[in-house]
Amino acid sequence: MIRRAVLVVLGLVWLYPTYLLLVNAARPAASYDPATAWAPSGDFALFANFAAALDKADLGSSLASTALYSVVSPLLGVVIGAMAGYTIVVLRLRHGFWWFLLIFGGTVFPSQMLLVPLFVGYSDAGLYDTRAGMLLVYTAVNVPLAAFVLRNFYSGVAFSIFEAARMDGASTFRIFWRVYLPISTSALAAVFILEFTFIWNDLLFGLTLTTTESVRPVMTALAGLMTDVYAGTPVPVGLAAGLMCSLPTVLLFLATQRLFARGLSLGSV
Amino acid sequence: MRRSSPILGRFRYGYVAPAALLVAGLLYAPFVWTAYLSLTRYDGLAPPEWAGLANFGKLFDDPALLTSLRNTLLWVVGTMVLPVGLGLLVAVLSYDIKGGAWYRVPFMLPYALSGAGLALVWSPILSHGGIANVLLGVDTAFLQSAPVNTLAMLLVWTWQQLGVNTLLFVVGLQSIPKEPIEAARLDGASGWRLFRHITWPLMRPLTAVVVGLALVASLKTFDIVWVLTQGGPGRNSETLAVTMYKETFVASDYGYGSAVAVMLTVVTGLASYLYLKRQVAS
Amino acid sequence: MIRSGMATLGVAALFLAACGGTGGGTPQKKTELTLYNDKGAWTKYFDEMGALSKQKIGLGMKPTGYTDSAQYQAFIKASFRTNVKPDLFTWQTGGMLEEIVKQKQVADTTAVWHEAIKAGDLSQDLAPYYTIGGKQYCVPMNVAYWGMFYNKKLFDQHGLKPPTTWDELVKAAATLKKAGVTPFYHTSVLFSFVWFEQLMAGSDPDLYDRLSTGKAKYTDPGVVQVMEKWKELIDAGYFVNPGDKTDPGDVMKNGKAAMISFGTWFNTSMTQRDMKAGTDYGFFVIPNVNPALPKTSVIFESGPLCSLAKAADPDASTKYLKWWTSAEAQEKWATSRGDVSANPKVQIKDEALGQITKDAGSGKYRLVNRYFEATPPPVLTAALDGFGKFVTEPGTYKEVLATIQKEADEYWSTHQ
Repeated sequence: MIRRAVLVVLGLVWLYPTYLLLVNAARPAASYDPATAWAPSGDFALFANFAAALDKADLGSSLASTALYSVVSPLLGVVIGAMAGYTIVVLRLRHGFWWFLLIFGGTVFPSQMLLVPLFVGYSDAGLYDTRAGMLLVYTAVNVPLAAFVLRNFYSGVAFSIFEAARMDGASTFRIFWRVYLPISTSALAAVFILEFTFIWNDLLFGLTLTTTESVRPVMTALAGLMTDVYAGTPVPVGLAAGLMCSLPTVLLFLATQRLFARGLSLGSV
Repeated sequence: MRRSSPILGRFRYGYVAPAALLVAGLLYAPFVWTAYLSLTRYDGLAPPEWAGLANFGKLFDDPALLTSLRNTLLWVVGTMVLPVGLGLLVAVLSYDIKGGAWYRVPFMLPYALSGAGLALVWSPILSHGGIANVLLGVDTAFLQSAPVNTLAMLLVWTWQQLGVNTLLFVVGLQSIPKEPIEAARLDGASGWRLFRHITWPLMRPLTAVVVGLALVASLKTFDIVWVLTQGGPGRNSETLAVTMYKETFVASDYGYGSAVAVMLTVVTGLASYLYLKRQVAS
Repeated sequence: MIRSGMATLGVAALFLAACGGTGGGTPQKKTELTLYNDKGAWTKYFDEMGALSKQKIGLGMKPTGYTDSAQYQAFIKASFRTNVKPDLFTWQTGGMLEEIVKQKQVADTTAVWHEAIKAGDLSQDLAPYYTIGGKQYCVPMNVAYWGMFYNKKLFDQHGLKPPTTWDELVKAAATLKKAGVTPFYHTSVLFSFVWFEQLMAGSDPDLYDRLSTGKAKYTDPGVVQVMEKWKELIDAGYFVNPGDKTDPGDVMKNGKAAMISFGTWFNTSMTQRDMKAGTDYGFFVIPNVNPALPKTSVIFESGPLCSLAKAADPDASTKYLKWWTSAEAQEKWATSRGDVSANPKVQIKDEALGQITKDAGSGKYRLVNRYFEATPPPVLTAALDGFGKFVTEPGTYKEVLATIQKEADEYWSTHQ
């Protein structure tokens, strides 16, 4: 009981800024006053604000490319990273710790400094402004995280599982694909959520490595609305834009909830 | 890890190769370029001029860098206590109760918000005369004087990041085999003792992940500072990554900015090596 | 070494199968130009311009917007070394423009300027900001004049009129302050330079110019006096707390401060908050601090629209820039954003803004280049931080000036 009480109280504290976000995103654009920002407005203008943001951001192109990056790259990243983690821990790769460090080291370098060299390299390699190029960079950024989580997750899995599968004559790849990937669903899902959110909200690589509408992430214009003083965007419209950008991620959270519920985890085999 | 003989199989290197190649090609190669630039004078336009170690010499002579170091340290320590520590608490409280996943929803929601959205939500709260002032009955401009501004941003960071850490801890907790816990229960262990002696050691693999990731992320703290204070006022809330960004892109001093980047990379690399060596390699 | 590494990766990327995108091989005759800009929030307006130009001159335009100008500038500079060639791109006047002109990256637009001035589409007064070594480069993408936006209702309530002298301005501030209204707005983030530049330009514009070219020092008595003047106003309680993070548009709307100094583009913030010019708010030119000066100093801001010297289709780019300066294009560009235009023929709907544009065009003011463009990036970076510190702790002004000067010394020792 105490546990639930603590969770509820803490949860309410956490929800307060979310409440402010919702209340003010739903406020008529011209009636925002920071002095009374906590009080809900009588008029409900959330959809008007959505419309205003969409109109200004002029999202002519489809969401397709952004959706492609934020789904395919994490999938690739998770599988590639999991495979590396599996090889290092379960297959006991020689100098495994150093291989692991090599891969994890990819997170060490500050990402802002990647921009100029990546841009120059991409334009030389013909990857600038291509979907393949975007998938490539997002996958690379995602691999270290996936490798780290899955490496450690597999290190907690009883080795007897591998031995048993080996006895049955399964190949190492088959064991990875049919045994290890399925038992790590919750870990894979957690990594996927993190990486999806990162790519969905990314402006760094998306802005620097693309130009045409069909390749460029759609979030650019919407993000500009929120930060640019020259745009003069009223706060409620900015918040509505932020809310809109967050919706797919929130839906993903809710859709994957089941994977993290007690008892469904297969990791305890 | 057991130090027994490696499993045979021709494709072992083939399995790690994609990961290693992607990381080396896209994330290491740019570092080589940056390391080279740190030894030059370069404005991003005219060809770089060789400058030897001059940029690194400047590192030791820059009072702003000392502030950045101090703030970065605060971020590292603060991150371990708040987003990680509280994240563990929420995970432990919620992982094995009925409907626990729903109790975690409020903590996950903020993670969906982008940096610009974060600033829009929190500026009116932390502003002078803002909501926090009213709620707490104080008259403080939370984003102005150091170290209050860094601490305030740390709270915002906690608000956003807690859910992710909780999620990873939950994955770790749920992957624990049930048998040792049942056995300990039969021996009469419960509550704190059960957690301290049985659960905590067993969830170590994922704890190492959360701490390792938080260590790297906090050393590289950038986005949240950039959207809330841009490192100011008067550079008093700059972190190493903010200093690096400002010197490189805002002031167009690519050489010095790269030197800060190299230093940051070395510090982060060393810290993660030392931590991972203990947690992972043993 | 990067290049070869990345080339290898290009091969590695083949297994991902390229889908969409351009790659290499640019056509020589273009029917649609790309316009790279750091005004991501203006994408809609650029798109409208692209549609209009397609219709009028058969040349379309697609914007590629960035949201962080530092990142944007780094990208453009890096693009000069690659085969990614923006047809058109926005930039900054002052040192930033000079820098890329010196590297021979920017197309000469002397002919465009010559014709536009003759046709009355551009004013001769603008030319100096676009002239380097006797030739013109780029055309004005936007222009803005800086002055004071004021809350008309608060002014009326306290019987105040837009001041015409500095003393009147200070008196108005005192009246408001006494009535419990905060007179002025300032901030410690990004726009921390506004009051410094305004007070400098209104006290000694020549010193301001010398300061931006490294011929004067931040520690000179004239500059110190300006900081003391600013501190005096802060100490009198005339400014909002710089820790107040309220959007300036909302500061104005809710009367948190009665006056805010910004460029004419701030009008967009007002209109988007349903405020009416002339009844809810007004705009006046800030009087000089030093009444002995022959002309009132007005801070002027202009963002260039440039094309590359090695553009993929130089004729098309030039044609576009030429069209951009025309009244037909500028009418649309200015009115869609509710801003002023570089073209004197364009009718500005907002009365006060129309007036200042006309006056500025007729040589009534001494136009002073905005601090943001006038100051070289490393010095600017130090100065923005310095002023941010100063507004938070006004007592530190001497230390602040010394810190900026240290950066200036370092810069000018290699850039004279």
